[in-house]
Amino acid sequence: MAKYVVTATVVKIGTTNVSNSCASATLELTAADVDVTDFGGAGWTEVIGGLKSGTVTLDFHNDYGVGGINTILNPLLGTIATVTLVPNGTVVSATNPIWTAPVLINSVSPVAGAVGDLATFSVSFPTSGEVTFATAGTV
Amino acid sequence: MASITDIRAGLATRLGTIPGLRTTTETPDTISPPIAIVNVSNVNYDRTFQRGLDEYNFVVTVIVGRVGERSAQRLLDSYVSSTGASSVKLAIELDRTLGGKCDSLRVTDMRNYGSLVIGEITYLAAEFNVVVFAQ
Repeated sequence: MAKYVVTATVVKIGTTNVSNSCASATLELTAADVDVTDFGGAGWTEVIGGLKSGTVTLDFHNDYGVGGINTILNPLLGTIATVTLVPNGTVVSATNPIWTAPVLINSVSPVAGAVGDLATFSVSFPTSGEVTFATAGTV
Repeated sequence: MASITDIRAGLATRLGTIPGLRTTTETPDTISPPIAIVNVSNVNYDRTFQRGLDEYNFVVTVIVGRVGERSAQRLLDSYVSSTGASSVKLAIELDRTLGGKCDSLRVTDMRNYGSLVIGEITYLAAEFNVVVFAQ
């Protein structure tokens, strides 16, 4: 695998490919740090990994048309949806893995933008449950 | 999936709705004002993933006549105006998809209102920047 320029990320919400409306995608996974500091730490804090969580952040170009991103995202508010991300094209492999994250659609931005700008909006969803990773499969 | 040629032709079609204004999508050998010349200045590719959107920046150069002609400035003023039958901005933005050739567009600004030398003749002209979003 070589370094690459981001142009071909695949983004799906449920079964709908929304890549053509998406300008930025970030999946961030974290594990809570649980303090286990004791007298044997030689004056240093000690932590172990706790519960894992994640956040999916997406920047969209707005579209109210039939099948547009607004008509896909807005009805999902308050529900759990599956977001699928593939970093670099539709061919899933060891060097282009597929991530699948159940997320809570806890915010949408049906109206956003300043005068003269391209209509865009950003959303950030917390994951809910296990985020899976695979090196084979189909988008 | 529109081509630059399609978008340029679409812009020329919109400009052709202005009474008396000639349009061309290719730089002519000789100028017969008033005329609007549509050219692309730069393209920003990959505004979304998977080749979903590109940004095209066009320049519409409107040439109205020899710089010394009294009527030339009044005519150019009417093209620069944001309202009225001769408004370049209004004429273009009345169809923001150019008949389905693009997703959206906007005439963002006018610049270089002044003299333009072509050959041995100094014309009065202005340039309009048009940003077009298309797949």
